[in-house]
Amino acid sequence: MPPRGPLGAGVIVTRTLTLTASLAAGIGGFLLFLQFGAADGLDAMDIVRSALIFASTFWLAWGATTALAGLTTRPPKVPRDTGPLTGRTAILVPVYNEDPVATFARIAAMDASLKATGLAGHFHFAILSDTRDEAIATRERHWFLRLLADTEGQGRIFYRRRSSNRGRKAGNIEDFIKRSGAAYEFSIILDADSLIEGETLVEMVRRMQAAPGLGLLQTLPGILHARSRFGRAMQFAATFYSPIFARGLAMMQGRTGPFWGHNAIVRTRAFAESCGLPELQGKPPFGGHVLSHDYVEAALLARAGWQVRVDDDIAGSYEEGPENIVDHAKRDRRWCQGNLQHSRIIGAPGLKPWSRFVFLQGILAYIAPVFWLGFILASIAAPLFAPPPDYFPVEYWPFPVLPVSQASKALGLAVGVVGLLFLPKMLILLDAGLRGRTAGFGGFGRALASVLAELVFSSLIAPVLLAYQTRSVFQVIRGADGGWPAQVRGDGSLRFGDAWAASHWIVTAGAVLMGATQWLSPVLVPWLLPVTLPMIFAPLIIAWSSKPTRSGLFLTPAERQTPAVAARQALILSRWQGMEAAVEPGAAPGPAVRHA
Amino acid sequence: MTNQAKMQGFDLDRLALELGALPEAPLAMPVQEVEAPAGGFFGAFFRLRPAPARKAGH
Repeated sequence: MPPRGPLGAGVIVTRTLTLTASLAAGIGGFLLFLQFGAADGLDAMDIVRSALIFASTFWLAWGATTALAGLTTRPPKVPRDTGPLTGRTAILVPVYNEDPVATFARIAAMDASLKATGLAGHFHFAILSDTRDEAIATRERHWFLRLLADTEGQGRIFYRRRSSNRGRKAGNIEDFIKRSGAAYEFSIILDADSLIEGETLVEMVRRMQAAPGLGLLQTLPGILHARSRFGRAMQFAATFYSPIFARGLAMMQGRTGPFWGHNAIVRTRAFAESCGLPELQGKPPFGGHVLSHDYVEAALLARAGWQVRVDDDIAGSYEEGPENIVDHAKRDRRWCQGNLQHSRIIGAPGLKPWSRFVFLQGILAYIAPVFWLGFILASIAAPLFAPPPDYFPVEYWPFPVLPVSQASKALGLAVGVVGLLFLPKMLILLDAGLRGRTAGFGGFGRALASVLAELVFSSLIAPVLLAYQTRSVFQVIRGADGGWPAQVRGDGSLRFGDAWAASHWIVTAGAVLMGATQWLSPVLVPWLLPVTLPMIFAPLIIAWSSKPTRSGLFLTPAERQTPAVAARQALILSRWQGMEAAVEPGAAPGPAVRHA
Repeated sequence: MTNQAKMQGFDLDRLALELGALPEAPLAMPVQEVEAPAGGFFGAFFRLRPAPARKAGH
């Protein structure tokens, strides 16, 4: 059994303060809106809208207080073993219809980076292919030989392809552990687009060695290689804001941290003992394979007594992100289904209360947009339910009593909601300026410009993302399975026609929303323009934001100075892409190719 | 020529699989209990299907 420890006082205090502040914000929003709605007489629609405001405000406040927790705490000192590495670590690279040249170039770069540490002998790479496309699978095998030849990796780099991809990525990892897990003390789980510095890989192992009760250690991956307006805005947000949110999250989670599915290290034995996933009863989307397996695996490790931790101070861990809104929405569709599927798991026996709360948060993350939509629709329809004004409420009183306007309450609520959205980001900017972190983002002035541009950009795309999320939720609730589409990587530039095909229904919904507002509640039209206009112009926004940009805005430290492992990857990739074939007999000196 | 090319491709495939073979070191991974006994409140809520659909995507 793993050693167990109590929850730290800091964790309990942070959880209590965060939850209390979020509930207070939600209740405040509820009461403000109730007073506003009751000005002309309280009706059922006022109560419905106030309840929706409670849920939405609570959710926004939860995000804001997480950021505040991150701003007010610093990473605790964690134990780290500086002695020799004792065991062997497998670096798992699951692939599914990916471009083998790009993926294997990342492996070659990580291998070179590991060799530079002098500790490469303690690491093996395992490429775990679930590729179903035969042509891609053939290229995988041929480029694997190139990878072996270039890295002299025979006996250290392995490749296997499953005949059936049962259980998807979780099943792929499970298959590896069942076959080879006993050979490795630790396993570092990657995605096909993950890239980690050799020093970071070694550091992850050292931290695991120093903490025998640690079952899983998650790093906070930065985003690399974004080129489009959308991609670079997301890359900036992930690099500038995410470390603070992750810090706050780490403060609240204590021993029950997160697993985000990749760029993390697990104690192989702990993972094997705790994380065998069954197929859920029934058919997808709620039954079948566990889709968002990472959250479940983190909860199962915690249930078995293992510590799960996110160390946000570990640098040199990277991934890539979607380059346009449509690819983002496709990925989000999968995550939405996975998170809603957790409704079947949230009551599993023996889970830690925090793990159940994490599942609830994941579900709320997708339900919250539906609350907002419900609030908007209820507000538009409210006049239909409002009682007629009663100017003589007191019998025999000869003078009319005019209702007191409570518009200031609604205005106060709107300011509060906008504040919850924007204030954390501005505070993060201030904190970054005071601590000198803005230097990596081009200085305080440029960081300020980037933050303001990101606020405008995220406000512009929010209604479009809200529309996609709402549709995803309704699709899942109606029983539609999103399947397992391969990740789209590379240049994500979209033509207007493609953007139109993916979003014409959002345009229609936006126009209908605006028309209904004009018809039923004309006074709300200007209030709803920030929602309806982006919906009506969704195809333009999607196409425009998918185009490449070299603007000085959204500059990140990794763009200013390419990380060493990314520079190696670019070098290897350009060399490989210049070759006519993966395997060129006579040209490559490695034993594998010589034999071929 | 075509046969030779095919043969070369076949050999390369076989070679990749031979050289890539994972070490044999089995480790048991028992299946865990992850479902709430009766599905729970959320399970029941999300099982409400007002209008079933089959396919989804963008």
